[in-house]
Amino acid sequence: MMRQVWWVIIPALIILFGLLGYGLTTNPKHIPSPLIGKAFPALQGKDLNGNNVTLGVVQGKPMIVNVWASWCAACQSEHNVFLRGARRYGDSISLVAINYKDELVNAKRWLNRLGDPYQWSFHDLSGRAGIELGVYGVPETFFINKHGIIVAKISAPLTDKMFERGVTLMSAAE
Amino acid sequence: MRKLNNILVSILLLVTASLVVASNVNEDPLEREVLNIAEKLRCTVCQNQPVAESNSGLAKDMRNVIKEKLQQGKNEKEIMQYFVDRYGDYVLLAPPKSGNGVPLWILPPLLLLLAVIGAILVMKKRGEEKIITPPTPLSEADQERIRHARSAMDESGENE
Repeated sequence: MMRQVWWVIIPALIILFGLLGYGLTTNPKHIPSPLIGKAFPALQGKDLNGNNVTLGVVQGKPMIVNVWASWCAACQSEHNVFLRGARRYGDSISLVAINYKDELVNAKRWLNRLGDPYQWSFHDLSGRAGIELGVYGVPETFFINKHGIIVAKISAPLTDKMFERGVTLMSAAE
Repeated sequence: MRKLNNILVSILLLVTASLVVASNVNEDPLEREVLNIAEKLRCTVCQNQPVAESNSGLAKDMRNVIKEKLQQGKNEKEIMQYFVDRYGDYVLLAPPKSGNGVPLWILPPLLLLLAVIGAILVMKKRGEEKIITPPTPLSEADQERIRHARSAMDESGENE
């Protein structure tokens, strides 16, 4: 009788610890985005200079959208990645940004100080555009292929490696 | 005395007046509706707090979005779906009753049921084991000895 019980209990414990181990090693702050594979929504608003802009894919070009804010320390650490990326890919990719819940003055000063790799930055003072895109923290970066489909979303400071991977994904999805 | 009366009356008036004013305060039904929905949504930056209770900037923005959508005439289901489409099932405090959420709803009662069935089986088995098997009947010789001993006791008992 006892022997039979162990045959049930041991596998059950192994499964339980396996699940617990999986749960402990995954990052609870990482939320898989349901937006991957979906079309990037067109958002209308103003850039930092007050010009009307539409956030959306233009002329069938792949697009990278970086969500940043001057109050976000991690955004500074990834900024060089975008400066290098913009130099490297130039016009073949449109690199734009969403300036998330930021004061215009601070945002402009930040770009002046660190350099501006973006074609323009969508000024999302209220955070509404952010919610529209499922943004829950900055920095976040969207990679969108030329058909306007989101192929990747990174909710962390970007590295050069991640940037390159994103670019590969954008061009791979035809 | 009159003065005291006046003071008492004015105090009484003040107290009752405040009650009247207090009962007139009523909450905005829209605000209540916003909170009802926000209670079912997880604040995505604070992991396990509903949007209704969180003070984070994102939660406030989400409450504003809920309010706006309600004003546009959207119902609760549509608003919840709006957030699910953007933040995934994670945003729901109660996991969905379809797709990935099914095991979460089914597994606990299923495990409970299995545990109960297991317990019943084990207890039944133990119950059977505990029944004391009747001892083998005594042999004719032993019974004869008992009878003998009893009659001996009865005889000596009469003398007491």
